[in-house]
Amino acid sequence: MPKKSAKPTRPQVRATETSLSVATDPKGRVADRVTAMAEASMTICEDDQSFRAVINVLRDPKEPFEVRNAALQALGAAAFRVIEFAPCRSDYIATLRALAEDRDPTLRRRALGTLAREKDGYAQKKLIEGLKNPDVALVSPEKALQFLSYDPHAEAYAIAREFVKKPPNDEAKAEALRLLAADPKSAPLFEKVLRDKDELRDNRQLAASALYSLNPGKFQKHARAMLLDKSEFEDIQATSLTALAQFGDQEAVGKDEPLLKGIQKLGAKTRSAKYKKNARQFLARHGR
Amino acid sequence: MKVELQINNSVSALARFVTWAPSPCRIRVTDPSGTTATAVTVQLSSVSTANAGAVTFRQGTTGAFANTLSLAVPVNGTSVPFFVAGKFGQPSTANGDVKIEARVKFAPSTPPTLVGSTTLMVRIRKSTESLTTAERDRFVNAFGKLNNQGQGRFQDFRDMHASSAALAQAHGAAGFLPWHRAYLLDLERELQAIDPSVALPYWRFDQAAPKLFRLDFFGVSDQNGRVQFSNTNPLQFWKTDGFLGINRSPFFSTSQAPPGLFNENQTFTLGGPNNLYRLFRRMEGNPHGSAHVLFGGFIHDPPTAPKDPLFFLLHCNVDRLWAKWQLQNSRFDQSVAAAYDSNPPNGNQIGHNLLDTMWPWNGVTTPPRPPTAPGGTLAASDCTSAPGPQPRVQDCLDYHGAINPLARMGFDYDDVRFA
Repeated sequence: MPKKSAKPTRPQVRATETSLSVATDPKGRVADRVTAMAEASMTICEDDQSFRAVINVLRDPKEPFEVRNAALQALGAAAFRVIEFAPCRSDYIATLRALAEDRDPTLRRRALGTLAREKDGYAQKKLIEGLKNPDVALVSPEKALQFLSYDPHAEAYAIAREFVKKPPNDEAKAEALRLLAADPKSAPLFEKVLRDKDELRDNRQLAASALYSLNPGKFQKHARAMLLDKSEFEDIQATSLTALAQFGDQEAVGKDEPLLKGIQKLGAKTRSAKYKKNARQFLARHGR
Repeated sequence: MKVELQINNSVSALARFVTWAPSPCRIRVTDPSGTTATAVTVQLSSVSTANAGAVTFRQGTTGAFANTLSLAVPVNGTSVPFFVAGKFGQPSTANGDVKIEARVKFAPSTPPTLVGSTTLMVRIRKSTESLTTAERDRFVNAFGKLNNQGQGRFQDFRDMHASSAALAQAHGAAGFLPWHRAYLLDLERELQAIDPSVALPYWRFDQAAPKLFRLDFFGVSDQNGRVQFSNTNPLQFWKTDGFLGINRSPFFSTSQAPPGLFNENQTFTLGGPNNLYRLFRRMEGNPHGSAHVLFGGFIHDPPTAPKDPLFFLLHCNVDRLWAKWQLQNSRFDQSVAAAYDSNPPNGNQIGHNLLDTMWPWNGVTTPPRPPTAPGGTLAASDCTSAPGPQPRVQDCLDYHGAINPLARMGFDYDDVRFA
């Protein structure tokens, strides 16, 4: 008979009360408090006292950043327990709004990010104010544009267009373009960016994606032209090919002899094994 | 002589997928020429190449599985039932990489003659880190097509997990794990409608996952939290709610194991000494919630989390943890009190009781259910009829048919064997 193996010792998870008392003890070591805060996230919303204790740590500017950040993370994790978290939710949102103006830029950015994803009107107002007047900005313009894109609307579109025209940096322009990708009126802008060989390649690829979703027919036309353009960058051609392969009108593409020849040429000239493979698979699908 | 082999009791090619759980199959003689006997002895065996899947056989609903099976099959066309299961530890890497051969020995002095065969796939959910390049590419392509520039079926999945009313159907109560099991299965079946060889991979969030966060897979985040993809990756065209792309800012080094969440073994202890689901489901906070907040961006918050396709790989691991805990503690049987949290002190809200149907698949849009039910009923499968178009909470416990073979939902994990 085979010998019974000894039962393995179970790894221990601390009792919730222990984790919480370590996490909220201002005299404790920072690393211990951070670990304990993550453990406590499991049960923060199960009683008001636990929730209050964690909120108090988060709101206290005298607490170390690492512990406050861990408290924010723990609350974020607990917020997934939607029904059980419901009694805590309004205080949580109020705390995030307060944190949006905290002196610590990381906490400010993270709080605004969550509020923006909740489509919080207060946060949106603050973000727009900051884009119009950098002196009152709570986050960088690129982050503000990114956060506004969670709930794009007319005022945000107008500001984004301004940032495309006069961007303070490349990142802000990219985020403004991304925000406008939800705006049907911006299709001509994306056509222009896509075909402009002097534009940043990342922005051209972004424009390809945006135009494809706003006007697939137009994009297919441009993608064809770019694949046949000998002076076009190879990575832009590869993006065009991926779009045509994945989402294009296969019947139309299959009958387009010049395009198929252009793809054959791309496959032959490229040094990239991935592009070669993509071209080969595309052509094989159309009997080449 | 010819025989026909039916996998999952179907002639459809889309039914030729098995997991570790026994799949009902049958064999019948379609051409009796060459024999005068009333029945022939057919030997079934599994043939596969290196690194391909493998299957095992048994005749009835109980007993051990074997690499071969001999069956007496009448020549009059009557079907004979048997069962096939994937050989644990040997999942397929491509559709049809396993073949079942049927041979008959017509005379003692002659070698067995091949009288029929069929190819199939041992389709198993695997870790992102163990997928082959081809598996990864097929999965990414199918996901890209499901999204289809924000105009595809994926938007329904995004809408199922958006409003606070919708989120309450699936979070913060006992139904968290069953609801997400159905949600993942629905999505996986839609991916399989695009490419049947695809199974949802899981992101083992308590370990390093260097293959996952790459340009060719689920992307690399830039300093502003925008996820970048390679030019050949269709996820570069990802769009949800009119928003182009994915925002995801990791708060940890993606080449290393993330800090601050319970590992697998710690998670298994959450059920306490009596292994109670009531306690185990607190994993919704940690590791589940803790895994979500490892990043800034979409995945960080409940209303936007599924806008990032990583959500589904994270939840696949959450489901795997539940499946593994169920196996370790025999918690598949809904009649076992410890297998579910049926009687919390304040009762369960609607949608979280064992007998409740689950929104949105039930189509109910009157309060307290949400006002819309995106996506319709749960996608059907050619491999199994479970959990049905309008699953109840209880239908999601016995996921591989350990208690009731008819409850088999048609998925399994690479490291969770059949009970």
